[in-house]
Amino acid sequence: MQELFWFLPEWPPLLGDLVVFGALLVAGLLGGELVNRWLGLPRITGYVLSGVAFGPHALGLVQAPMLDDTRVVVDLALGLIMFELGSRLDAEWLSRNRWLFLAALAESLGAFFAIYGGLLWFGYPPLLAGCAAAVGTATSPAVVSLVAYELRASGQITERMLLFTAVNCAVAFVALMLLLPLVHLEHRADWRSALLHPMYLLFGAALLGFFACQLMLVIARWLGKREDRQFVLLMAFIVLVVGIARSVEVTVVVALLTLGVLARNLDTDHVLLPLRFGYAGQALFVILFVITGASLDFGLLAPASAVAAAFIVLRFLGKAAAILAFGGISGLRPGGAGLLSLSLLPMSGLAVIMVWDTAVLYPSFGMELAAVVLSAVTILELFGPLATQIALKLAGEASAESTKPPA
Amino acid sequence: MSEAQFKVSTPASVGVELELQLVRAHDWDLAHAAGDLLSRLEKRKVAGAVKPEITQSMIELNTGVHARWAELRDELQATRTAVVEEAGVLNLRVCGGGSHPFHDWSDRRIFPTERFKQVLERYGYLAKQFTVFGQHVHIGCASGDDAIHLAHMLTRYVPHFIALSAASPYYQDEDTTFQSSRLTAVSAFPLAGHIPFVKDWAEFLEYFERMKSYGIVESMKDFYWDIRPKPEYGTVEIRVFDTPLSVERAALLTAYAQALAAHHLHDRSRQPARAIYLVNSHNRFEACRYGLRGTLVDPFTGGKKKIGDDILETMAAVRLRAAGLVSTEALDALAADVRSGATDADWLRSRMGPKGSLADVVRAAAERWAGRL
Repeated sequence: MQELFWFLPEWPPLLGDLVVFGALLVAGLLGGELVNRWLGLPRITGYVLSGVAFGPHALGLVQAPMLDDTRVVVDLALGLIMFELGSRLDAEWLSRNRWLFLAALAESLGAFFAIYGGLLWFGYPPLLAGCAAAVGTATSPAVVSLVAYELRASGQITERMLLFTAVNCAVAFVALMLLLPLVHLEHRADWRSALLHPMYLLFGAALLGFFACQLMLVIARWLGKREDRQFVLLMAFIVLVVGIARSVEVTVVVALLTLGVLARNLDTDHVLLPLRFGYAGQALFVILFVITGASLDFGLLAPASAVAAAFIVLRFLGKAAAILAFGGISGLRPGGAGLLSLSLLPMSGLAVIMVWDTAVLYPSFGMELAAVVLSAVTILELFGPLATQIALKLAGEASAESTKPPA
Repeated sequence: MSEAQFKVSTPASVGVELELQLVRAHDWDLAHAAGDLLSRLEKRKVAGAVKPEITQSMIELNTGVHARWAELRDELQATRTAVVEEAGVLNLRVCGGGSHPFHDWSDRRIFPTERFKQVLERYGYLAKQFTVFGQHVHIGCASGDDAIHLAHMLTRYVPHFIALSAASPYYQDEDTTFQSSRLTAVSAFPLAGHIPFVKDWAEFLEYFERMKSYGIVESMKDFYWDIRPKPEYGTVEIRVFDTPLSVERAALLTAYAQALAAHHLHDRSRQPARAIYLVNSHNRFEACRYGLRGTLVDPFTGGKKKIGDDILETMAAVRLRAAGLVSTEALDALAADVRSGATDADWLRSRMGPKGSLADVVRAAAERWAGRL
């Protein structure tokens, strides 16, 4: 019999990564629809919950090594989002409204110092507190972009939410890179490489983004203003820059953020069309959130719940205080400061990879950092999207017909 | 005061309403930001008024009443500057033009006032499709009878107004091939069209009361006519202009309408005739489709003429009247554009060019509105 059926695979067949990816995508999609239809929650929350269900802490269908393999997808999805976010950072707006840039900067610093101070009070060493605060400075770019997209949100709060997120992500990376030499020194690295390494990570990424942008603009000019061709061009460059950044080991998201910011601001002849990633992007983002969900470690939550709660509350208060202080003067409508602060609550995959990247260098320090930061991320992963959704709806910027699929 | 009572105003004084587009700087689509912009403008002293319109993507500038077009232009320029500055703080751009080239009408959000909600309730998708942008010119009249006379006589020039202001060649992502596609959107409303051929104010009121008793209209606001009397202002309102691409052109158009009105208020050698309405829809279509290059039928002589030529002849005929209103300079400027064939619609098309995109068209329109292009 066996000779006859030589063509059949072994049983059970060995399921490759592709099968797991496909299954995660289906599960995420269904989870997202379920929570949205039954509970009115953002779909993202459903993607994350599906990830949790599949992850090592529940069904165990996705194990940690698999999670490492998925890093390329995470980088790609985050890269896409950072590019889009970067392209919202409009230097012309900031020059017309200088208070706005100060407000965004204050928002970042407010979050940083609130968290830093809180963690010191809890007795954490300054360096660890600083790194955790740097990670906490960033709002999840993926969550805010996707919630805005899902609600077809448009208006001042939405615009500012995206702008502030772009700025606080940049500040978070710069802060982390400023702290990295200290981490290196504490682990007795040579002081020269302690200084050079962060500079390489940051400036290498920025240079990569710069050259890629120049080349992309040249090609775009030659292609002309055809949406279909420019879409492929953008996707190609995003994949390319993510790939190169990974190969030469510079910070992927910084490279893509740079590419996005420069694509907006160096394109003085406007050769690039305004593009959206639409359905293609959606599929990537579902996987991103399922994987983020699967990588959540609820084991960290119990021992650190008090710290996590303090982390979240102080982070919110730091952001809110700065936004309140600068809101009116930067042209925010009365009552807008609270909504904007609420919308900036999410933390997600970006925080996870910032911790991962540190953990790769110094595993034990990375573990300590993870214990502080990731418990807060776990909580915000579940409630952050909802906060953003509520803020945008209360701001009256969500489309009434948000059930209609976004264009 | 009853709605039917005609408030007397200075003959041939003018005032303007301009409906403007608010667009986002990152993708040049329409923004949803009228509320935020208006609340900023409230804190700033601007002449006239800036008001919400039916969707969150538009605002309306109202000027005061002026006897001279140059004063009107100065006021519009000052208001324009204020609006552009405040919009810049919110990363919005403002532009003229009769339509947004590529917005998705299903994405429009109605500005939340009772009247606008009722309009949405009544007209459904038409209300959102009505996201088009016009210039309304009010002309003062000494009596209701004058207003009716003027409404009829000015209808003769509707193709002029359309051709001179045409600035909506693109609609829903398409080059419509029209010079003004905006009026097609207006035509879909059941109460669009023109005023019935009534001989005086008393007869007009009779018509209005009858329509009211049928329950077809509640107020004069429900008539979306090309030209309608506006008794509470004591004016005749011309509504067929596309919002032009600059305030300067808006003022020039007003000067032309003012000269025509002054001429017909004063010189009664020609009287309203049914023939005006016989040729009206043909002439109107020609103007929307071909602009200055279209052909119109003169209701009084029955002759056929190029709309551009007819405008130049008319301008020559009212030149003395314009001199009295200190607006020959304005008429000359318009005439120069007619001779060279320059219209806002063609300007927009030139921005698209063989290599452009509709986003480029909107960006250029915003630059032009801001006075930078």
